[in-house]
Amino acid sequence: MVAPGQQSATPHRPSEILDTLKRLGFGVAIAVPDSWLGEILVRIEQEPAIKLVRATHEEEALAIACGTRLGGLRTAMFVQNAGLLSMGAGMVSLAQRYQFPLLMLVSYRGTIEDPVFYHAPKGRVTEPVLKGIGLAYALADRNRPIGPQVERAATYAEEASCPFALLLSQEDVQW
Amino acid sequence: MVNAIRPSRADYYQVLADKLPKDALVVTALGNASYLWAAMHHRPENFYFEDAMGLALPLVLGLAIAQPARPVVVVEGDGAVLMHMGALVTVGAVAPGNLTVLLIQNGVHAASGGQALTNASLDLAALARAAGIDRAQNVTTPEAFAAAMGAPAEAAGARCLVLSTKPDPDVVRPPIAFDPVLTKHRFMSAIGAPRYVPTMFGGGRLQHD
Repeated sequence: MVAPGQQSATPHRPSEILDTLKRLGFGVAIAVPDSWLGEILVRIEQEPAIKLVRATHEEEALAIACGTRLGGLRTAMFVQNAGLLSMGAGMVSLAQRYQFPLLMLVSYRGTIEDPVFYHAPKGRVTEPVLKGIGLAYALADRNRPIGPQVERAATYAEEASCPFALLLSQEDVQW
Repeated sequence: MVNAIRPSRADYYQVLADKLPKDALVVTALGNASYLWAAMHHRPENFYFEDAMGLALPLVLGLAIAQPARPVVVVEGDGAVLMHMGALVTVGAVAPGNLTVLLIQNGVHAASGGQALTNASLDLAALARAAGIDRAQNVTTPEAFAAAMGAPAEAAGARCLVLSTKPDPDVVRPPIAFDPVLTKHRFMSAIGAPRYVPTMFGGGRLQHD
């Protein structure tokens, strides 16, 4: 963790994500884990200001997130990109149709840098599917601090009244 | 469980309208679950689904988490709950004491014309209990539903009432426009939800007026 106002030479990017969520007033995180997300979810669970809800499926997680946002809580989701592929109907007919602003923090599996190659089929189709269902997204830039990127994604979601997916690499999100 | 002689959805809705606490929030699933409720008891604190079958239950779980001081009710169908059965498990795990789950068990996909369910006669109350919702019971009459709704509230977990209901394939015409964004804004305004206050260069926050 980096003290406020200080800059670490090698900042711990998952800590920056968590610190950014706390600073921006996120009250709840809805999650379906994968191996990269496991530890950050445990850390969130230990945060008194953020309630973690562990869902059984990503489309269910999306609906829970719409409900927490409807009830007035700033809401983040943590899912793998497989979950983006399986939540398409709920994304268009609920989250987008009702214009729920949601920050989606996504472990982007199946890129060329993922050592587990059975994720490759998901990585290959993720961005075309996101374009197809009209889900706004960006790839996190590993050469820039991650905190401001999370903040911009969260701001985009609110300003555009829609879900926004920030696709994260292993260094970004694995604690 | 499905009975030979079953009350109508309207029979149960009349009880719900009579017994509903003033500060309750109500989420209704697609089709007549929403159309009939809007016709019988429209109020800003209703959130109507127009589609997204199976997602009313998980959405209401989120709402119950965000609004813990208010009673929250969902009307979901048996076909919808079979579609996303995992949501029952999540409700059981989170166990919000302010949540009442009403499952309309009519044995068919009513909203799409009355097609047969994969299994029309499951004991959904037993299923809910197995999913961790201890306070789950099958209800076969409006009187039993009234008694259950009139029971004192408990803090220990959600409750689930499975309402044995005859199918209603004829579509009710709702008396209001089902504009989804209007529904959302009307609902959020009614509950005093904070709104997003932007700043020119980011860093906006949710704030109460």
